[in-house]
Amino acid sequence: MTIEINQIDGDTKEKGSIITNLSSQKLLGQFLVLVTPFLFLLIWHLIAAGTTPLILPSPYDVFMRLVSYFINGRVWPHLFMTTQEILAGFVLGSVLGIGFGTLVSESDIARKVIMPYIIVTQALPKFALAPMLVIWFGFGMAPKVIIAALIAFFPLVENTYMGLTTTPQPQLELFRALRASRITTLLKLRIPHAVPAIFSGFRVALMLSLVGAVVAEYVGANQGLGALIIVSQGTLDTELMFVAFVILTVLGLCLDWLYGLVYKIVLVKLYGKTIDDVSSSTTRLSV
Amino acid sequence: MSGVSNTITNKEKFDRGQIEVDYITKSFDSDAGNILALDGINLEVVPQEFITLVGRSGCGKSTLLRCIGGLISPSTGTIKISGQVVTEPHPQIGYVFQQAVLLPWRTVEENVLLPFEVKGNPTDKEKHKVSEVLEIVGLSDYANHRPGELSGGMQQRVSVSRALVTEPSILLMDEPFGALDAQTREDMNIELLRIWEVAKTTIVFVTHDIGEALFLSDRVVLMSARPGKVHDIIEVNSPRPRTFDQVENDPAFWKMRQRIREALH
Repeated sequence: MTIEINQIDGDTKEKGSIITNLSSQKLLGQFLVLVTPFLFLLIWHLIAAGTTPLILPSPYDVFMRLVSYFINGRVWPHLFMTTQEILAGFVLGSVLGIGFGTLVSESDIARKVIMPYIIVTQALPKFALAPMLVIWFGFGMAPKVIIAALIAFFPLVENTYMGLTTTPQPQLELFRALRASRITTLLKLRIPHAVPAIFSGFRVALMLSLVGAVVAEYVGANQGLGALIIVSQGTLDTELMFVAFVILTVLGLCLDWLYGLVYKIVLVKLYGKTIDDVSSSTTRLSV
Repeated sequence: MSGVSNTITNKEKFDRGQIEVDYITKSFDSDAGNILALDGINLEVVPQEFITLVGRSGCGKSTLLRCIGGLISPSTGTIKISGQVVTEPHPQIGYVFQQAVLLPWRTVEENVLLPFEVKGNPTDKEKHKVSEVLEIVGLSDYANHRPGELSGGMQQRVSVSRALVTEPSILLMDEPFGALDAQTREDMNIELLRIWEVAKTTIVFVTHDIGEALFLSDRVVLMSARPGKVHDIIEVNSPRPRTFDQVENDPAFWKMRQRIREALH
């Protein structure tokens, strides 16, 4: 009897300690999650204190500059310009990418004729074109949109092509058995099947459009966050440069969040509410 | 005059659901050279007959079914469905594949509607037919579910519904219940016979399960491998309805089973 009691006692003790171990680990995790950003800011602050604001402005100064930049309203033209360039480039690149992707997956001749050019376009460093585009189109939006679109183009060609050509063989056979025409098979089978692949192309394209627009602004622009960075470099205003970095980062996060939202809505509409990988595939970072 | 046209209609009625396989061969090109998958297959299936193709894997039973279905064409010889030579999938055929092959982005109902949608805009009558078929297979409550939410057996029932919805005169089934567990498979077999009796279709059913073949069919076509040939055809004379217990323990079935076993080994 006593042995039994001891055993039970030992068991509960052991379980108890496991539970406390688990919860203490969880607490530690939460603690680290909360503390790490402050730690990061603290280190930034300490390094900034040891150097001049020209090299590294303190996080507090950057924050105050950011706030005043928003309050006096001078941020908006830059923010609007860059956002417009990103979105216009993204849409243009996506439309062309999906179009060409469909074309090369549908027609062997089109694939043989067009594919080499697409690959050449991809191999060419697009940013190298920026100065020429400025000569051709001036300092306005056009060169930035073109660069952003060129960069966004390829992931969509590739993902559309991949999505349309990986339709499972049994499903294609079903459509053959149902005597479906080629266009019906494309519309009712291959395109719906390609939607998730096309969407992961959208995500990459969106992030690349941001990079494209900003870098194109470096080359020659009057407005935009990239132009702001170049101006702050010229005036040695590191603080303003950091303000631009922060805004660009938040802009990128917002665009990605927006993408995730649209993706979730579309996938729920397509596959119903039970699909599990909606959240997991939106958290996959592909840039 | 009316008498003549009557005979023609009667003949057409009689032919509907008939399959004539006239000495077909099928060879495939592969790295190892030319492979003869089917060698001189002769087979006649009468309307509303339930016939099973049995054989070990690689004996060409699926290839034969795909030829009948018009998914591939034989190298030599012809196949006629209801008197017409097969050159492409015949409109009177419903095909049930090894996997359910449902489109995951469509609900159960939309999946069953697919054969009509492929032809054009589905009419109200066709939409009504979909709910009718789902009623028959007992899936009415799941009409708005996605395939991903269903069990394997239910998915295969959706696939059978999709094949039945166009009221085909011939149903081709390629090991449709092979992936299901034994109990579900027996349930599906019982259900299939019930549907067969109502729908009055010809069924050609591929399986490698002897018990399943004996339970279901009027005739069992035994195929041997390399090259694929019809080895023997066994008439299952036992009256319906049959039970699985009967198929396993009845001496008459035991004899047929023995005959099939010997032929396959």
